[in-house]
Amino acid sequence: MRFFQRRLFPGGIHPADGRDKALTAGKAIRLFRPAQVWISMEPVPGARCEPCVQEGEKVRRGQKIGEPRDFAAAALHASLSGTVAGLRAGKGVCYCAIRSGEEQPPLIQKSALGCMDPGSFDRAEILAALREGGIVGMGGAGFPAAVKYGTEAEIDTVLLNGAECEPFLTCDERLMIEQPAAVINGALLLKKAASARRVVLCLEDNKPEAVRALHEALRAAPQMEPEEISLRILPARYPQGGERQLIQAVTGREVPSGGLPADVGVLVSNAATARAVAAVLLDGEPLTSRIVTVTGGVREPCNFLAPIGSSLQELIAAAGGPVSRENWVSLGGPMTGRCIARNYSGESELGFVTKTTSGIVLLPPARRRESPCIRCGACATACPAGLVPWKIDFADREGDAALCGRLDADACIACGCCSYVCPAGRELTRHTVSARERVRALLRERRDA
Amino acid sequence: MAECAPYLRENRSTRAVMGEVCAALLPALAGAVWFFGLRALWLTLVSAAACVLSEWLFQLLARRPVTAADGSALVTGLLLAMSLPASAPYWAAAAAGVFAIVVVKQLFGGIGSNFANPALMGRLFVMTVWPAEILQSPLPRTLPADALSSATVLAAARAGEESGYTLRQMLIGEIPGALGETGKLLLLAGFGYLCLRGIVNFGAAAVYIGSTAALCAVFGPEGLFTGDFLQNLLGGGLILGGCFMLTDYPFASRRGRLLCALAAGTATAWFRCFSAYPEGVCFGILTANCLAGLIGLLERRHVYGKGRTFKFFRRNPS
Repeated sequence: MRFFQRRLFPGGIHPADGRDKALTAGKAIRLFRPAQVWISMEPVPGARCEPCVQEGEKVRRGQKIGEPRDFAAAALHASLSGTVAGLRAGKGVCYCAIRSGEEQPPLIQKSALGCMDPGSFDRAEILAALREGGIVGMGGAGFPAAVKYGTEAEIDTVLLNGAECEPFLTCDERLMIEQPAAVINGALLLKKAASARRVVLCLEDNKPEAVRALHEALRAAPQMEPEEISLRILPARYPQGGERQLIQAVTGREVPSGGLPADVGVLVSNAATARAVAAVLLDGEPLTSRIVTVTGGVREPCNFLAPIGSSLQELIAAAGGPVSRENWVSLGGPMTGRCIARNYSGESELGFVTKTTSGIVLLPPARRRESPCIRCGACATACPAGLVPWKIDFADREGDAALCGRLDADACIACGCCSYVCPAGRELTRHTVSARERVRALLRERRDA
Repeated sequence: MAECAPYLRENRSTRAVMGEVCAALLPALAGAVWFFGLRALWLTLVSAAACVLSEWLFQLLARRPVTAADGSALVTGLLLAMSLPASAPYWAAAAAGVFAIVVVKQLFGGIGSNFANPALMGRLFVMTVWPAEILQSPLPRTLPADALSSATVLAAARAGEESGYTLRQMLIGEIPGALGETGKLLLLAGFGYLCLRGIVNFGAAAVYIGSTAALCAVFGPEGLFTGDFLQNLLGGGLILGGCFMLTDYPFASRRGRLLCALAAGTATAWFRCFSAYPEGVCFGILTANCLAGLIGLLERRHVYGKGRTFKFFRRNPS
């Protein structure tokens, strides 16, 4: 019973009843074959790439089309074989459009067939492959894996994040069910890349089928030491899949404020990242596609294996289109995603799949009127970072950055738990995140002074 | 402005929370009507109407957003009636309601900004202004009129006498007292419902009720350890106060909530044992309300990644 459940991290909520994930969890991943893709040259703000192809040039899938220019950028590859239809600028970002001209060669996935011995690769080799393959963290931040795993810090544990605590999303769950071997191969390669002692596959207990699939794949694996790779099943609670919360739940360590997981000897990577790592090293296939959950108010909710740069509008249409005309479209899960359209009925272009697009969720409008805080304290109970959001909310509305700092607003992880539980419908998350930015600006100012 | 995540919200509003609290009070109200007659119902209606109407009128006149329909004034009205005896005059109930809403709640900024529980402040107001009317309580109508003295159980316990009421009578509420001091089992049923719905805090209520009864048993009328634990537990308004009135100030930690409950329990026991009044719940909880800010200084929060943050007398650099 969840009432008496032992808590591995404080706070947290149970935002959904399981029906949300059931929309897509039982369905096989479908292939999505667009006629054209638009690949953003700045997929994450501040991570630009320089196009290295010309308009009209013929490209094959996997050919490099963008050289990283910033520290946080990763190489981009053509996700279709075809012709570069144009380099056009949209919303200040350069897109590279590729029209599929020819038959797409089928993907050969050795990496998904069974667990392999990663011993033949050494660390430098793996890091070089991560860099060349354009591998980024596919859980949300999109930080280049080569930079993250190239850390000088001593790492003892790699956590493979398969918690997927966001409601509605099932892309990692389906991946672990359908390609457990690829995930395990990737996990072992990442462990090697970090020179870590062990890798732990972390799942929540609401994914029994994925747990079974991984178990079976591990059992079939040759001479794998249990202390090297293990499976950890956690009681489902949001935000378990938050990097810091996962570290706390599995290892009991806390990442210091303003620090990185590497500071406590841990690196966390998403299950989808592991699959991409296995593909680039074992199949020589750079990161050109990802699994995207299209769910919520669409006629046939499903997971798609979509090339990077696929149009979101076409994906929604492939999932049967919106059921009603009144939809909010969330890019990413409903707790932390970005609302990219309101009253969406399927007519307009929304944007394109990037390496970090985990899902598109169509939700009924959730407009609320804010009413006064009733001091129930529910937000403080739900906060996994141990903050008191209602106080920070007032401080931010007053614009008092110093008070926000004393209330430790910089520890906010923007998980959305406080807004979720607030009976007065207050926008606590928005204001706490804004307070966090105020405090960070203040800290920067102090450091520079 | 762009819409802000999360796009899922728990299906719970202020009005729904208040509605559930009202529903949880209904069994005890029904019990009061059974023991004290229909007058108990009319008194409750007068008190609730006074609270809701005065909130509506004040907000209208003060040109504030009208929130009289959010149910919080209704809860105040019900709790206020629960703390009055069935023989209280209707005008006293109305006066208490207006005082609670206008002076204690609205003048301090409305819902969430009141410094103390408005219902208890309303009761304190009429009790000090018209003590003769409020401190008398009638016998339940199920008892023969001359069977027992109409002194409350607590008054008897304080004097060191046997009150003459059995444990069963105290549990079902067949004793003289305020409307909500009677049906203990019915109150606990409503409280259990609120606990299951996650609206109230079980720990704080348990600490408050337990500490008061235990301290009263220790500091008895004839020296140490001569008090009656059960009579103190079940004889007065302790269950009502602990379950419904111990305003849950939103302390950031369990520790803060429990400390506040302990302070309220200690204060209540002190008033019961050493003041001129046998009943101390009202004073005790109001004392803890006033101490809430101070107790907040003793609170500890554990902020992720920052180690333990002590808030104890942290200076305000502004």
